[in-house]
Amino acid sequence: MDYRVEGITYKYSKDGRTVLDNVSFSIEQGKVTAIVGPSGCGKTTLLEILSGVIPTLISSGQLSGTFQKPEDSLVSVVSQTPENQLFGYGVEDAIAFGLENMGIPQAEIAQRMDYVLDLLSLQYLRARSVANLSGGQRQAVCIASVLAMQPDILIMDEPVSSLDPNGKSLVQMVLKQISLDGNTVILVDNNLVWSAGIVDHVIGMMDGKVVFDGSKEDFFQDFELQHKLGVIIPQEVELYRGLLPYFPKLKMFYTVEDGLMQLAEMVNTKLFAKSYTEEEETGESIISVHNLEKVFSDNFHALKDVNANIPKGKITAVLGQNGSGKTTFVKHLNGLYKPTTGDVRYKGESLLEKSVAQISRNIILVFQHPEHMLFEETVEAELTFCARMQNIPFTEEKITEVLTKYNLLEERNTFPLNLSMGKKHTLTILSVLFSSADVIILDEPTLGMDGFLMKELEALIKGLKEQGKTVIIISHEIPMVFRTVDDAIILNNGNKIFQGTKQQLAIRDDIFDKIHISMPPAVVMSKALGFDKICYNVDEFVEQAKALTRKEAE
Amino acid sequence: MDYLKYVDSSSFLHKLDPRTKFAFFVAMAVLTSVIKSFVALTFLLLFFIGMWKSCHIGTQILTLLAKLKILLLFIFLLWSILGMFSVPEVDGGPIFFQTTFSWMGKPHIFCFDWYDLYKGAVYPLRIFLMISSFYTVLLTTNFSEMILGLRKWHIPYSVAFAIGLIFQIIPITINELQAIMDAQSSRGLEIDKCGWATKVKNYVTFSFPLLFRVIGKGQAISLAMHYYKLDFSVKRTAYKVIKASRLDIYFVAANVVAIAITIVLRIMYYIPV
Repeated sequence: MDYRVEGITYKYSKDGRTVLDNVSFSIEQGKVTAIVGPSGCGKTTLLEILSGVIPTLISSGQLSGTFQKPEDSLVSVVSQTPENQLFGYGVEDAIAFGLENMGIPQAEIAQRMDYVLDLLSLQYLRARSVANLSGGQRQAVCIASVLAMQPDILIMDEPVSSLDPNGKSLVQMVLKQISLDGNTVILVDNNLVWSAGIVDHVIGMMDGKVVFDGSKEDFFQDFELQHKLGVIIPQEVELYRGLLPYFPKLKMFYTVEDGLMQLAEMVNTKLFAKSYTEEEETGESIISVHNLEKVFSDNFHALKDVNANIPKGKITAVLGQNGSGKTTFVKHLNGLYKPTTGDVRYKGESLLEKSVAQISRNIILVFQHPEHMLFEETVEAELTFCARMQNIPFTEEKITEVLTKYNLLEERNTFPLNLSMGKKHTLTILSVLFSSADVIILDEPTLGMDGFLMKELEALIKGLKEQGKTVIIISHEIPMVFRTVDDAIILNNGNKIFQGTKQQLAIRDDIFDKIHISMPPAVVMSKALGFDKICYNVDEFVEQAKALTRKEAE
Repeated sequence: MDYLKYVDSSSFLHKLDPRTKFAFFVAMAVLTSVIKSFVALTFLLLFFIGMWKSCHIGTQILTLLAKLKILLLFIFLLWSILGMFSVPEVDGGPIFFQTTFSWMGKPHIFCFDWYDLYKGAVYPLRIFLMISSFYTVLLTTNFSEMILGLRKWHIPYSVAFAIGLIFQIIPITINELQAIMDAQSSRGLEIDKCGWATKVKNYVTFSFPLLFRVIGKGQAISLAMHYYKLDFSVKRTAYKVIKASRLDIYFVAANVVAIAITIVLRIMYYIPV
C-alpha cells in the first residue's frame, strides 16, 4: 500500500505566509523518494508534518490536508546532526533507547539490535561509545537506532551534509542496504550527488508547491527544472547534460564507467600521457610552515613534521579525510593552536608570539558552522564586524554594493540567525571582505548550501583571488575544489603526503587511492579518454570531447 | 575541557555498580564534612591516590587539581591569614613571628605560627577530597549507567533521564563555547591580550550566540525525543540490567576499612580547628 500526502497547506501562524500550498503526492512503499528544492521551499516543514512534529510539538500553525497512512504506522526521522539525536553513551544504549521507550521486551530488543547491526554491517561498532565514532559511523548508528524501531517510513534529513567522503560512502552503503531490504525511505536533501544511484522517485518543490513528481530518470532529463530548483546533481549527469547537444545518441549515465563505455565509441580515444599536463609554477609563498608537530594533551599526534608553503594570491585546497589533521593545520595558521614544535611564518615573520586577534589582521579563518560566528543584531552589523574590530574604514555604499551583489539587500536589517543556513554561511564569508586580511581560510564553506549558493560561493572565492587575496579552503566537495583551486595540500593521518598544483595532483591517482577520495568524473574521464588536456569542469570536458569528434569526422 | 568527560576504560571502578559509586560519594562527602584532622585527611588522600592510580585516572585528577589550584590557594591563604590575628588555640608548634599593634584605638595581636598553616592546609584538603570523590564517580560512570543506577533506586525515569541528559549536554555546551570563542577571536575580537574587564565583557558577548546554540540543541533534542517515542507516562523496558558483583563487595569492604582507619586517626591525632 502506498502512502499519500493529500492537499497539505500550512502556515506557521494565522497571519503568516503560506509555507506549503496544497501539496499532494504519493510515497511508494519499499522505494526511496527524494524531496528536493531550494532553501526555503518548504522541505523542512513538510518533513515536520510527515513525522508528526507538526502538530504534536508545534501546534500554533494552521494545517489543512492530510497525510494518509494506516493509523498505527510509525514514521521516524534521521536528522542531519546525529550528535543531537543519539541518546545513550554506548552504541548499544543508543540503539536500545527507542525500543525501550516503546516497551519492547529485553529479549526482543537484543534480537532487533542484532538484526540491524548485521543488516548495516555495524557489529564492529557495538562495544564502542558514541562520542568516539566518526561522523559517518555516528550517522550509521543513528540510522540503525531508528531502523530497530521498525518504522513504516524512514525519513532522512540531509543525512550526509556534514560527512567526509568515507562517511558518505558508509551512509550510501547503509541506504542501499535499507532500500534492498524493502524499507520505505524519504530523503530530504537538495544534494543528489551521493544518492543518485539509490533514489527511485523525486518530488521537486518550489515556493511551497510541488513542481515535479516523477521518476529519477525523468528528473535527471529535465535540465531546466534541475537548474530552477538548485539541485546539486552528480557531475556525471552534468557531463551528460553538456554533451547531449553534440552527442545526441548518448544515453543518461550515472557512473564514470558507463559514461566512458558510451563515449569511447563516439570520440577518438588515445592513451593518457602524463606529459599532457601543464606544469605550473607555484610562485611566491605568503605563509610558510616549518616542521610543524602537534600533540594534544591526550597524546593524540595530530600533525607530524609538516612543512608547507601557501602560495600568495592563489586558491589552495587542504584535502583529506576527517581526522587527517586539516582543521588542526589551518588553526595553526591563524594562531588558534600553537605548535608543539615547529613554526608558522607570515611573510617570513613568526606568528607564535601573536594573539589570534592580532593575526586576524592578516589571516582570517571562517568557521564551518556559521552559528559560531554570527552574533550581531542585523545582517549589516554582522557584515562590518571584522572591519569594526580592526578599525578598518567602510562606507554605506560599499555595504549596499556587497549586499546587493549577494542577494542580501532585502535582509539588511534581518536578525542573522534567522537567515537560511546557506545565506548564514555566505554572510560570514562576506564579512571578511571588509577586513584587512589578505589570507582567507574557509573551513567547509559549502555546508547547507544549495546549487545556487554553491555557484555564488565559487564566484565569491574567485573574486577574492582577483582582489589579490590568498584563499585556503577545506572542503569535501571535490568537483567544486577542482573547479576552483590552483594548488592543494593533502594530509593523511597528520602527515603531509602532497603539495603542488592542481595539475600535478590530477595525475596522482596513488594519492587519491591512499586517502580514499575519488577524483571528479571530468578529471577521471578526460584522462581515461586520453584528451589533450585534463578537464577540471564540465565545460572544458565538453570542449575537448567536441574537438575529438570533429577530428574523427574529418 | 576534556578533563570533565567520562574516561572510557575497563578498570575496576568502571565495572562497579553505579549505585556503589553513588554510595561511595555520599559516604566520602559526609566523612570529609565531619573530619577536620590533617593526619586522617592525609590518609584518606593516600587511599584516593591508590584508587586513582589503579584506575588510570591520575592524569585527569591532576588536571582537576590544576584547575582548582586558585580556589585551593585562596582557601589556604584565607584561613592562614585569618589565623594570624589570634594566638594558637593549641600549643605544640613554633611561632614564626609575633607582634601587637593598635588599630582604631584598640590593641590587636599579629601572630604567624604553625597553627595558621595547619588550619590553612586542612580546609583546602577537605574541599579537594570532597570534589574529587564526586569527580571520581563522574570519570568512571557514563550517563547511561547513571540513569540505570538512579532507576534502580526507584527515582522516576523523567528525573533520571534529565540528570543523564545534563551530563550528556555539559561537554557539548563547553565545546560550543570554545568554538564560539575561537570563531570570534579569528574575526578580530581580542580575548588573549586584553584586560580582565574586556575579558568579562567578551564572555557576556559570547553568551549570546551560545544561548542560541544551546536553544537550538535543546530543540533538536526535543525533536529526537519525539522521533524515539519518549513518553514518560508509558512504562519503559530496559535492555541493560545492572547488578552488584563481587567487585562491589571488595570495594565496599576496602572503603569500610579506610573509613574506620580515618576515624581512628581522627580520634588519635585530632587538633581542633
